[in-house]
Amino acid sequence: MRRQRKSMNKIKRQLLAGPYLVWIIGFIILPLFMIVYYAFTNSDGAFTLENLAQIATDANLSALGLSLWLGVLCTLICLLLSYPLAMILNSMQIKNNSLVVFIFMLPMWMNFMLRLLAWKQLLAKNGVINSFLVNLGLSRINIVNTPTAVVLGMVYDFLPFMLLPIYNSMTRIRKDWIEAARDLGAGNLTIFFKIIVPLTLSGVISGVVMVFVPALTSFAISQILGGGKVLLIGNVIEQDFVHGSQWHTGSGLSIVLMIFVLLSMALMNLFAKDEEGGTHLW
Amino acid sequence: MVKKVTSRLYMALIFLFLYLPIFVLIVLSFNNSTSRVNWGGFTLQWYINCFRNEKIMNAFATTLQITLLAAVISTLIGTLAAMGISAMKRRNQTIFLGATNIPLLNADIVTGISMMLLFVKFMNLGFVTVLIAHITFNIPYVILNVLPKLKQTNRYTYEAALDLGATPLYAFFKVTWPEIRSGVFSGFLMAVTMSLDDFSITYFTKGAGVNTLSTMLYTELRKGIRPELYALSTILFFTVLLLLVAANLHPEKTVAIPVNPEQTASPKAKKRIHRAYIAKRIASVTIIAVLILGSAGVFFTSASMSRGEQTLTVLNYGKYIDEDALRMFEEETGITVKYEEYEDPEEMYTKYKTGAISYDLICTSDYIVEKLIDEDEVLAIDFSKIDTYSGIDPTIIDMCVFDPDHTYSMPYFYGTLGLLYNTKLVDEEDVKSWDVLWNGKYAGEFTMMNSVRDSFSPALITLGYSINETEESRLREALDLLIAQSPDVAAYYVDETCDEMAAENFALALCYSGEAAAAMDINENLDYYVPEEGSNFWVDSWFIPKTCQNEDAAYEFLNFLNREDVAEMNFEYVYYASPVMSVMENMDAETRENETINPPKEVLNRCEVYRILDDDATALYNDLWAELKAN
Repeated sequence: MRRQRKSMNKIKRQLLAGPYLVWIIGFIILPLFMIVYYAFTNSDGAFTLENLAQIATDANLSALGLSLWLGVLCTLICLLLSYPLAMILNSMQIKNNSLVVFIFMLPMWMNFMLRLLAWKQLLAKNGVINSFLVNLGLSRINIVNTPTAVVLGMVYDFLPFMLLPIYNSMTRIRKDWIEAARDLGAGNLTIFFKIIVPLTLSGVISGVVMVFVPALTSFAISQILGGGKVLLIGNVIEQDFVHGSQWHTGSGLSIVLMIFVLLSMALMNLFAKDEEGGTHLW
Repeated sequence: MVKKVTSRLYMALIFLFLYLPIFVLIVLSFNNSTSRVNWGGFTLQWYINCFRNEKIMNAFATTLQITLLAAVISTLIGTLAAMGISAMKRRNQTIFLGATNIPLLNADIVTGISMMLLFVKFMNLGFVTVLIAHITFNIPYVILNVLPKLKQTNRYTYEAALDLGATPLYAFFKVTWPEIRSGVFSGFLMAVTMSLDDFSITYFTKGAGVNTLSTMLYTELRKGIRPELYALSTILFFTVLLLLVAANLHPEKTVAIPVNPEQTASPKAKKRIHRAYIAKRIASVTIIAVLILGSAGVFFTSASMSRGEQTLTVLNYGKYIDEDALRMFEEETGITVKYEEYEDPEEMYTKYKTGAISYDLICTSDYIVEKLIDEDEVLAIDFSKIDTYSGIDPTIIDMCVFDPDHTYSMPYFYGTLGLLYNTKLVDEEDVKSWDVLWNGKYAGEFTMMNSVRDSFSPALITLGYSINETEESRLREALDLLIAQSPDVAAYYVDETCDEMAAENFALALCYSGEAAAAMDINENLDYYVPEEGSNFWVDSWFIPKTCQNEDAAYEFLNFLNREDVAEMNFEYVYYASPVMSVMENMDAETRENETINPPKEVLNRCEVYRILDDDATALYNDLWAELKAN
């Protein structure tokens, strides 16, 4: 009898996930189904692969190429900036630790568009940076409306997403391990490559995923800092939906984009394979 | 020592990189100067404007409502789901967690689009669809925060409580809740963060008149930067700063972001952590209470404002009506206007055709009106219901060849496409011909338009073709010209042109006459010319689409627009030529003779009106445009 009640309880508890199940089906599975449906049909509702093949046109291919290139560039810059910073933060005294970390995370909490506004203002041809340079008698820099400006905006927006997981994984490295290594005669370089790097790999990987995916798929940053001259795959898709009423093509390209996102994550998971616990998003 | 200095220096550099832009925004928010960079004295004007600006305040209220509602609902569903999932067999758990990961891992743009595709099938896009979308992407964060906590709890304690006679609810609150509380809380906070910052998903799922801060800023940023936005940035920055400082009052243990605080420590440390936790919780509870009360207030006031009232859903170009006029209309008639803007005609056509939003009244360009009339999407207007229609200049009505019987549309503004140039940088002789856009003399110094037909027109005219050309070979010739030109083009803008030219960021721009007049009003070095080879003359008109659900209100709005005072207000704001005769009559002589605003007859004579393109030609234009942009 007791056993019975227990299993009853268990079933009842499982029912708690009921609303979520409905939600999953209605708002996660069904929308994905819609996008797949649109991707594989033409406007008459007949099956076609043409929408997926659209990615092979010169225009779309170069947009995808540029997106991948800028995404990789942005991820690399974020990694190169964050890793040393995470090490420095980690090596500081515990006491003021959280305050310092907090300072580096704060911009993340400000609206993403306002952060772009700041850069648009700084980089404008007669903007703050150029006025400053002119006053110093130097020549202007013209990077607004170029891919460089877009990468800069991306790095600025996504840097905390790289810093946070790396820093988190670094705080988990115990001091004794490093001391033990030192006692056993390891030099700084050895410690770095044999202990710190492997133990922070999972953090690096989550950071890379969290920066690369939004960078690859962004369209707002390129729209605002690119002046309509930097066309990423996200912009192509947005245009198909918002300006061109080409929903079928747009869906086809979205599926291709999804495949790239999944591929990049699978690739990252390969690296993370021997890591205990796998990747944590946060 | 050296190492320490280097690392401090490195930190300082990154600190500068992160905060210099914000610092600049803060400084500029107090800058009393129309020019952006020079310091013109201290002012609080932008803050006052910011609070008075209905658009900003509405977006702010919507953001709060969506964020809090979505966070609360998703915390509820997510916590329940986590409890259910933890009671499941491993296989089912994997399935559920797999589905949970989808919104986390998928690109935002794809999530947004897929939800939009679903929503337009079943309902009108609006506040509710944005809310559903936010809840959907918030739930996974809650589950991923609560589930680990549930795994740590001892299942048998709960069972024991039941055995000892506790009701499940009592047992839950006494046993399970204290253990998962921190997880639920950090899940909630994360949901709030994600909702506040989301742009892409909101962008695709929002309906008419619904704007969160992110989407409102996106449209505003493309129109040009207004100093009110600096004030808004400053306010938001300090709010976030204060909130986070308050949430981190006891920094011994807590890290700024809700990271898993599971590392265990000695009992003494635990006790201290515990105390810190309580203090932190008190602070957080206060913050949340304030937020909830605040948003509840906003919610109820906005709910009571719109209760039982008529609404009118209007779709119009960006920056194309004085918002005070809208407010005046609402006050006079008691009709609530849901006002939605778009940037180029193709965007409007898509918005209308998807049927995602039922519009009552739309203003758009001549050839799109023609297209929609052709597709039988437009209702005939009963002009006898519009008393003020007689105030419209008949010669302008006659020029509306796209609506030959003048039964479907009412002209709103008209103007030309031409070249806005900075007289300090550009020779007056140069702008007499479109050739200036191809000869490389101002390479990197001019902007084109981010709109298919307007960018093709100068190329077609230069080649001696009509701006309504549909022959593929001729369009390809034009494309070749545009591709050859593209390295010289500094940017493709629409609504930004006025601001960028006024700030003298560029020497020359292809733009509409009204945009030009507005820029010339700010900066007197600017002038406008319609090249001799000819150009486009356009009329933007209002029409009532078949989707109209409130015809009476639509007529009332049309009637209102032609009223002398309203037409005057809108003219002062938009600066295009108004077909309402009284506006012209009441204008001061200088404005009336301003050829930029009121194109003289000989200019109009060398211009051509855009005509409807068939579907094949439209698709061809779009393909060619994509080719140009990819180049």
